[in-house]
Amino acid sequence: MGRKCLDYIKELNDYIDGDLDPALCEEIEKHIGHCENCRIMVDTMKQSVKLCREGRPVELPKSLESKLNNLLKDRWQIKFGK
Amino acid sequence: MSEKELVAKAQAGDFQAFEALINANKGKIYALALKMTANPQDAEDIVQETLIKAIDNIEQFRGESSFGTWLYSIALNQSRAHLAKQKQTDLKPIEDYLPTRSADEMHNHGGHKLFDWRDPHKVLEDDELRKMIDEAIAALPVQYREAFLLRYYEELSIKEIAKIINESVASTKSRVLRARLAVRDQLSRTLEARYGT
Repeated sequence: MGRKCLDYIKELNDYIDGDLDPALCEEIEKHIGHCENCRIMVDTMKQSVKLCREGRPVELPKSLESKLNNLLKDRWQIKFGK
Repeated sequence: MSEKELVAKAQAGDFQAFEALINANKGKIYALALKMTANPQDAEDIVQETLIKAIDNIEQFRGESSFGTWLYSIALNQSRAHLAKQKQTDLKPIEDYLPTRSADEMHNHGGHKLFDWRDPHKVLEDDELRKMIDEAIAALPVQYREAFLLRYYEELSIKEIAKIINESVASTKSRVLRARLAVRDQLSRTLEARYGT
């Protein structure tokens, strides 16, 4: 008796991230070859993370940068006296 | 100079060494805080509070993790404090992300088929898509949101995340998986409503 889809789904992150045992990887690949829902699940899980990573890089606001310089220097002086 | 040397110098009171240690991380901390809180003012406060705590406690850093990982754990504690009013809820069980209640039924035996979306860029503008993703992440309960962000934005290993959030590797793995399933599910629902059949 083969594994159930739920068992495969529990392994999908490791499978997608390339952290899965090769034998189990092969088993999953075989399974998604004939299970449409698991195939869609794999594709759209991959796509979800890809989309999340596509966003614009966030930069530290310039105003915060200069505020931090003074704030941290002052704190350092309080702690170490220099 | 190695991180270890910088840490030793900073712990001895060298501010420049401390600056070198935080320069590589402060932008990342801001990005993490912004994703966690979805509020730029809160994110700025979290960066300030994190770095001040790092100064106050620098002698407690023992080098068991990287300095960046140590800063992340402080930043997450600060983020949690900002989000303390948000209810700590749990996500649905994994079974509930399958198209039918019974996992066996999913295997193409008459169960409802999942909505198949692969390239939402075809139908949505980048800004709209970005907003949709931010909303999907913001909808995650805090404990799942932090695990998801550390794994897929900061690209930390499960082991590193487990250390930061103070959970076992197995529990961290499960959080990351469930968060990913929830984000996928949320995006699927929105996209299906937009251009599904």
